[in-house]
Amino acid sequence: MYNSLTRIQNVFGFFTTVAFVVSAIIAASDFTAPRTPSASIKPTNVQVVKGRPHYYSSKKEEYAIIKFSLDADMSSLFTWNTKQLFVYVTAEWPSTPSGDGTNQTNKAVIWDSIITSPSSDHLANLGPATLKKLRKSAAGKSIDPSRGKLSLKNQRPKYQITHPSGKVANTEDVTLHVHYNVQPWVGMLTWNQDVDFALWKRMARGISNAFALPTVSAKKK
Amino acid sequence: MLSGLQNPRQAAAQLLNFALILSTAFMMWKGLSIVADSPSPIVVVLSGSMEPAFQRGDLLFLWNRNLLAETDVGEVVVYNVKGKDIPIVHRIVRKFGLGEHAKLLTKGDNNAADDTELYARGQDYLERKDIIGSVVGYIPFVGYVTIMLSEHPWLKTVMLGIMGLLVVLQRE
Repeated sequence: MYNSLTRIQNVFGFFTTVAFVVSAIIAASDFTAPRTPSASIKPTNVQVVKGRPHYYSSKKEEYAIIKFSLDADMSSLFTWNTKQLFVYVTAEWPSTPSGDGTNQTNKAVIWDSIITSPSSDHLANLGPATLKKLRKSAAGKSIDPSRGKLSLKNQRPKYQITHPSGKVANTEDVTLHVHYNVQPWVGMLTWNQDVDFALWKRMARGISNAFALPTVSAKKK
Repeated sequence: MLSGLQNPRQAAAQLLNFALILSTAFMMWKGLSIVADSPSPIVVVLSGSMEPAFQRGDLLFLWNRNLLAETDVGEVVVYNVKGKDIPIVHRIVRKFGLGEHAKLLTKGDNNAADDTELYARGQDYLERKDIIGSVVGYIPFVGYVTIMLSEHPWLKTVMLGIMGLLVVLQRE
């Protein structure tokens, strides 16, 4: 029967099929783009303070402020299907003081950054002036690999490290790790890998040397 | 027109056909639920707390099995707060300990503070059992229709009406 209802149904059905196939192809195209991220990170200034880490903290506890320097090249992660790159730095330490560094059981993000692809700049949560600057930096480009290059010197952490026990001073074997999460326009979310996978290489370096947190220093303010 | 009313055999066939479509959709949903080990393997984003990664109406595919590794810091998870039935999509930013009772803290990428305030009274951290899945796949915008339906309930009636009419009017 060729009445208008079946025609509408067929058109809609064909549209969804085509849209689904095209999205699947776009999602699969991620695997054809090589990924060769690299990063180097080192702590520059570590401090442990006793106080309230947040305005809503109910009790005083020890928290660590780890300043760090980070150089990273994640430009290969930007392709036409990249919506944003989420870069985050974690501090990791074993729960027993004499861990061998392989069994990290405490992890906390100390800094993160959302790096939008030029195609998603309009979605970024930024003030109008910053947004204008950001858009200008990639005018005419749909992919901007320079966005993936990071160079931070003595960067203040965004988040202070605490521990449920309330104690973090004198912790040993703390390491800083650089991670990333690629958010696509459509398809699978991907994170940094521990092993190479086809064209996707694991991140070169990206782990700092082990260091220890100092004893509690004089109360700030 | 209204062929079903004149021919009971055809009407019954149409009714069965309609039931088949509904039950197929239901079986696929539950099948996916078993594969992903999650009560809700596909969720629609309802808030903007993970922008610009996820907007309202985006569709997320969840995976709730720890085959290779434990749920870890950096993963975007969907969790339910104790005593509330609103799934929240946020990223894990802290993890203390290993295993089922590891203490997990979450935060929305677009929020300034972590989720301590969102949790139930006396709940400082999440545990693995509060999480109903980690986000592994993403399709933009497709779920917006469900937000439309829940915000404008009359659309539901209209849609059901149209579907019912189609079934009755269709000949094949």
